[in-house]
Amino acid sequence: MAPAFNKVFKPRRFGQLLLRDLAGGYRSMLVAMAAVAGTVIMISALTVLGTKVAGSRTGAWSFHFNLYSNLLFLGGFIVTSLAFREARQNGNGIFYLTLPASSLEKFASKLLTTSVGYALGSVVFYTAVAAASEGINRLIFGFGNAFFNPFDTRVLEAIGYYLVAQSVFLLGSVWWRKTAFLKTWGSLMAVAFGVALVAWAALRIVFAQHFHGWGIDLSDIPGFSELSRQASLGYGPLVTIGRVLRIVFLAGTAPVCWFIGWLRLREIEV
Amino acid sequence: MIEIKEMAFGYKRQKLFDGLDLFLEPGNIYGLLGKNGAGKTTLLKLICGLRFPQAGECRVMGYQPQNRAAGMLEDVCLISEELYVPPIAPALFERLYAPFYPRFDHGVFVEHLREFEIDASKKLSEMSYGQKKKFLLAFGLAARTRLLLLDEPTNGLDIPSKSQFRKALARSTTGDQLVLISTHQVRDMENLIDPIIILDEGKVIFQESMDEAAKRLSVSIEREQPTDAGVVFSDKTLGGYVVVRESAAGAENRVDLETLFNTVIASRERVRAIFGGGAAGKGA
Repeated sequence: MAPAFNKVFKPRRFGQLLLRDLAGGYRSMLVAMAAVAGTVIMISALTVLGTKVAGSRTGAWSFHFNLYSNLLFLGGFIVTSLAFREARQNGNGIFYLTLPASSLEKFASKLLTTSVGYALGSVVFYTAVAAASEGINRLIFGFGNAFFNPFDTRVLEAIGYYLVAQSVFLLGSVWWRKTAFLKTWGSLMAVAFGVALVAWAALRIVFAQHFHGWGIDLSDIPGFSELSRQASLGYGPLVTIGRVLRIVFLAGTAPVCWFIGWLRLREIEV
Repeated sequence: MIEIKEMAFGYKRQKLFDGLDLFLEPGNIYGLLGKNGAGKTTLLKLICGLRFPQAGECRVMGYQPQNRAAGMLEDVCLISEELYVPPIAPALFERLYAPFYPRFDHGVFVEHLREFEIDASKKLSEMSYGQKKKFLLAFGLAARTRLLLLDEPTNGLDIPSKSQFRKALARSTTGDQLVLISTHQVRDMENLIDPIIILDEGKVIFQESMDEAAKRLSVSIEREQPTDAGVVFSDKTLGGYVVVRESAAGAENRVDLETLFNTVIASRERVRAIFGGGAAGKGA
């Protein structure tokens, strides 16, 4: 088993791929980091200035968490969507696909850099930028927004959600030849709309007699009021079903996307 | 090293190969010739797993190329006509990419860079097309992969570089290596590529060594257009006609690549008969 696995995954070769992925794009990464740092410092200063003009001397408590969430999700999805662009371009694709490493190693390298790598990197980077921006605010205005706390449970929770959602964009990156971000976003919207439509149609069929025009009233179903009351208090079967579905969704989405993405990478022809 | 049996491949609107057979052995620098659109580049892509056969079999060093196994790729180097180089310096390129090739030889790489007069301080993306190509050729030769695939290697090279390339390739190639060069620039490859493979209409229509071609065909320049039955091919040229005839037994002639190619394309059946049917691909 070990020698067979070694053929498709060698730690030394994987490490070299990681190094290549990071070193190959370091210039654009530095440019992007400088742009983000400048934007954060400017927006933070403008926010504090606005607060001061309004006569207050208390900065925003959630300012940096909100801004970091944008950097994590929007920035991460865009970076992820560009991950496999090189495999789809003519000369670049030939170079990348004939690079001596297995598809598993190539996929795992992109996955690691755009998921955990991006999340950790962005936390460290943002903590430093937020500290610098708040230092500047305090020097100029005498007060500032709350510092960014990378160990805040909301940050850790956001990273968890990012790791799941990011897998969909990684699949989009390997799936689409061009404009992967927009196409993945569009596909997600289409799927969400489709699911909502099917759910509404199913509801309409199953509970047809409870529909009054476009509205639905389930209160005359025996036991529904009690179930609804329990759910509003955070217990009961509806809450359990919701929890199970959430766990299945969160735990299942990423592995399914990774597996399909890996298969797709194996199939790319240039 | 390369075994292709009954392979079929085509694009959406064009069938390219149908029942293609090809067997290639190490220790040779094969020349792959064909008209535009004959499928030379596609064949190279099929051999290194960038395109997948639609039927038949293609095996390279025992691997199925479409699996793109790392074990196969570390012994295959394709220098494509569509060049890509990352925007980094040559030294960083070597640091990032050489470890993927277990037999990479730093000394050979440095030697070729010097020979090709590559400015090592310049970023690869800032180099001219010819310089990029020379850099990748130097890297490909230093990688010492058992299979080296070159697609139009002399396109974009200046006159001294073409000669340097020929010398470097002839010097670097070892007995366990197979080099397959796809080219239209037959004059650049004269005395380098041997045997010759000619692709046409989805098949290998000629696969012979230059020695064999020189034994079986004779080329002469004649003032008048010949009309005798012994003529395999004739073509008007400056000051007369290039005439190709079946050679008398045992006679040794010199056949240039361009004339050989034109003869094979124009008189396929006749050439096949002269080469005893073997001209349509060894083992086909």
